[in-house]
Amino acid sequence: MTKPMHTTLEVPVAAGDEESYSLRMGPQHPATHGVLRVDLELDGETILDCTPRVGYLHRGFDKLAEHRTYAQGLILTDRLDYVGAMANNVGYCVAVEKLLGIDVPLRAKYIRTMVSEMSRICGHLLWLATHALDIGAMTVFLYCFREREVLLELFEELCGARLTFSYPRIGGVRQDVTHSFIRRLTEFANTFPGWIEDYETLIDTNRIWLKRTRGVGVISGEDALDLGITGPSLRGSGIKYDVRKARPYDAYSLVDFEVPVGRDGDIYARYRCRMEEMRQSARIILQCIDQLPPGPIVGDDAPDLVMPLHGHPKKEADASRWGTGLIRLLQDRSLFPRGEVYVSVEAPKGELGFYFISDGSGRPYRMHIRSPSFIHIGALPFMTRGAMIADLIAIIGTLDVVLGECDR
Amino acid sequence: MFVKYKPKRNLLETILHTEILQGMALTLRRLFSRPITRQYPDEEIPVALGFRGQHALVRDPETGGSLCVACMRCATVCPSRCIHIRYHEDDGKRVVDSYDIEALRCVYCGYCEEVCPVNALVLTEIFEYAAYSRQPFHFDRDGLLANWDRFCRERNISPQEYVNPFWRPRGLPENRLPAGKRLQVPEDWTMEGQVVGSRYREALPNDGTR
Repeated sequence: MTKPMHTTLEVPVAAGDEESYSLRMGPQHPATHGVLRVDLELDGETILDCTPRVGYLHRGFDKLAEHRTYAQGLILTDRLDYVGAMANNVGYCVAVEKLLGIDVPLRAKYIRTMVSEMSRICGHLLWLATHALDIGAMTVFLYCFREREVLLELFEELCGARLTFSYPRIGGVRQDVTHSFIRRLTEFANTFPGWIEDYETLIDTNRIWLKRTRGVGVISGEDALDLGITGPSLRGSGIKYDVRKARPYDAYSLVDFEVPVGRDGDIYARYRCRMEEMRQSARIILQCIDQLPPGPIVGDDAPDLVMPLHGHPKKEADASRWGTGLIRLLQDRSLFPRGEVYVSVEAPKGELGFYFISDGSGRPYRMHIRSPSFIHIGALPFMTRGAMIADLIAIIGTLDVVLGECDR
Repeated sequence: MFVKYKPKRNLLETILHTEILQGMALTLRRLFSRPITRQYPDEEIPVALGFRGQHALVRDPETGGSLCVACMRCATVCPSRCIHIRYHEDDGKRVVDSYDIEALRCVYCGYCEEVCPVNALVLTEIFEYAAYSRQPFHFDRDGLLANWDRFCRERNISPQEYVNPFWRPRGLPENRLPAGKRLQVPEDWTMEGQVVGSRYREALPNDGTR
């Protein structure tokens, strides 16, 4: 971090009399993981310059949230990183709970940790599947989707949806876990490390995989920090930074897990980090199941789904709480405090942050999402300088970008 | 924790392509295991209870109409604002004139069925419905009631016994629910029958319920 980063790229000129030429890759290119367009400046097959163009999937979530109550805004986060949406849901809820000063029951915290890790495995499996498919390993793709299907079915049993979960709620979760869910999840978490070994048998020492990944897309730890890269992409460069350890939320401080760190900062190191992370996720899931405490899943002071638009709490109709309700009404206390809050969680892609400005009404005055994919795409030009077009595909894959999260 | 790499291959392994052969042996083994592919639509896909699919209004067995009392909670909570209700007041009692759901705007979050105080609305487990125009997805009240009939018929559901997990969320204490939502539910949906970790199982009285 002591070394200043050159933020402006000096575009190298093509050697000799050859003129460089430009090529647009995407936004419909199947290897750009969605609708990413990359404007390339090429000399032969060598990339001189690369400019990512984003925004094809822009839906304006920051703005949409300003017209919705805090409970309604949750559904927008499903559509950020749609391959591991539970981490987004949890991050949103943690941020709003911090804003409103609500405590979450321990049971809900454990359930949230459990589903976040399931979501991380889901996200990493899809990353491995598509990344390997881009590089040319078809079988891994099929095997990963086999395991991902098990998880999606578990999510379906838990919350009635396979991708757009909307499962946590402000102050807890919406549904309790069932016996059959826990039984199936335990079985999955026990067998999953064996399946990871299957993928590793296929590609870990495969010479084509090694040729495509070793020494490609190298970024040093300092540069990665300067560019704001987080998550497994940063840890592959040897920086041990994980929000789950640095600022534990939910039940992460109560479970035991390791943060895998790579040494080389190339695609292979990041690949190894993610594979180890999936093993650790399975470990966390088993610990959560083991430690799942009895109790309510929603806190006593958690707001109703129908939230007031203007900051005063609804009058309680419950006769037993009439006395306190009346006092609360007389005190004219606002349910929504004024102020700002920033909370980040460790999503499968990296550090996902939610920033709220509250003006005391029932809707956020401003919501900003710090999405890891957007920042990772910003690192693309720095990592692809001098590489080949085929390496660009591998580098997009290793950064693990999801354009739904990038464009928001 | 630094990640571990497998050892570099030696000359013999390079010549014999052992790592490629290992991978091929793995795929060959898989060739003889049971296929996991489901031949949709020839095979029926099992759908979990509480899957958030096509909308329906529960038919009241007594009147034959809907149970809706026009409290407007579903229309208020809907994040995509796809529920439109019109009502008039008759003798201090609200009478629903029209109840429309634009299914193409719906995001299937299930908030509406969770906040409904009388369990009038449900997202059924029907997930396959398609049409050639937009009009069939604009459900009016009769359409929504017909959806309920179709759901009960196709899934062999007794309308009196069906309980959707979002009508009475699992593990939610009863005092947080209005009277209309305190339904009879299976044992592990209640707080008494909730599943707990093995660490707590010994500490609790073992009366067979847990």
